[in-house]
Amino acid sequence: MNLYLTANIIGFVCSLFGFIYGGIHYFRPRKATYAQMITLALGCNAFGRLFYIVRLLTTGFITGSVQLGFFGIAGSFMFFFSSNFGTLDSLLDDGSKTFRKYRLIALAAPLAFIVLYVLLFLTADISMMWKILGGVMTVFASLSTYFNLKHLIFPDVDFGVVKCLRPYNFLVLIYSASVYMECFGLSRDNAVITLISCIITGLISAAMMPFIVRGLKKWRT
Amino acid sequence: MENMIYILFICMVAPLMLSLPLIKKTSRSIMIFMLIGMCTALFVSEVNGLFLRLLDNDILMVTTTITPATEEIVKALPVLIYAFLFTDEKERLLTASFAVGLGFALFENTYILTQASTDVTISWALVRGFSTALMHGICTAAVGFGMSFVKKKKKLFYCGTISLLLIAITYHGIFNMLVQSESMKYFGFFLPAVTYIPLVVAMVMNYRKKNAKSQS
Repeated sequence: MNLYLTANIIGFVCSLFGFIYGGIHYFRPRKATYAQMITLALGCNAFGRLFYIVRLLTTGFITGSVQLGFFGIAGSFMFFFSSNFGTLDSLLDDGSKTFRKYRLIALAAPLAFIVLYVLLFLTADISMMWKILGGVMTVFASLSTYFNLKHLIFPDVDFGVVKCLRPYNFLVLIYSASVYMECFGLSRDNAVITLISCIITGLISAAMMPFIVRGLKKWRT
Repeated sequence: MENMIYILFICMVAPLMLSLPLIKKTSRSIMIFMLIGMCTALFVSEVNGLFLRLLDNDILMVTTTITPATEEIVKALPVLIYAFLFTDEKERLLTASFAVGLGFALFENTYILTQASTDVTISWALVRGFSTALMHGICTAAVGFGMSFVKKKKKLFYCGTISLLLIAITYHGIFNMLVQSESMKYFGFFLPAVTYIPLVVAMVMNYRKKNAKSQS
């Protein structure tokens, strides 16, 4: 079987598992919007993978032109970003000087992605399409990982929720790095890198929801 | 026939518009959104035609990569304006966006019918009627759901709506690709139903729970 197909099937099955698991737990009235957003992020990833699978089964290629599946996967970053920026961050960070240190340290994550983009995409000998797609992925990943790193190092002042969600934020950081690695693999038409990164992304997608359920339960008790 | 799409548009939209004053208020708003959906379908057909010419008539590339994005963005615009100017009530936005999607599908189906009237069959009608209409409705409703946060949680509205739009575009792309392939088109026919039925079941169950709680 085509390695790209295997990679995306693994990614799809794992994300679908996370999506269904999260859907059963959190898609009810008066459940945490934060967890609903993360569930949708996994759904978005699953749809992106499904697009790639169908594309490979119907036309047999995914690297030669722009694919909507790419935006599905990039969309998952947007949901991760929404979950932190739209619901949790304003509860934790009041914008005061006390937390300035953490805000500045958190900038390391987007900065790392920008440096990687310059080295792996912008200055590399690849097509303009992949330079643009790499740029799009960098923007989405930077937005999401800024808050993930911030909430990973942020002090647990009032609510106790930050500590419970630390494993999840750590997982999203690895997820972002592996999706970026996949983007790099696709830009070089390297099926082995794509397969390895899809396995990592898949495993993290499957593990993410149980961590969220456990984290939120711990916080409430 | 030249200008067929405009002839069809006038024939469909004019009688529906004339009937608006006679319809009751709730049904009227649904009808208005269906008419808006038809207008967006007409607009999108021009935009897609432009892309088709730009990409040397590569129909597969355009229908699986470009049209899902253009159609979903244009369908979302009237719902966005409605959410900003009139209401951010979740139920009303969902109904409005679903109606826009249905109006869009109705016009698109009729236009395709007129273009290929000699080749169409009952099974074609069943597929177009159920799967395409549902797909357009579901995609627009998903984006409409995100817009219900427009006034309550602004931060969530901006990024949530973009994310839902990306989901809708990807879903639309998957559907277009499936129905165009020879070997997998039957998966495409059932995809919208597979998505729609669990959503309806969940909504009915929630509604019943709410009713039971309010009665007790």
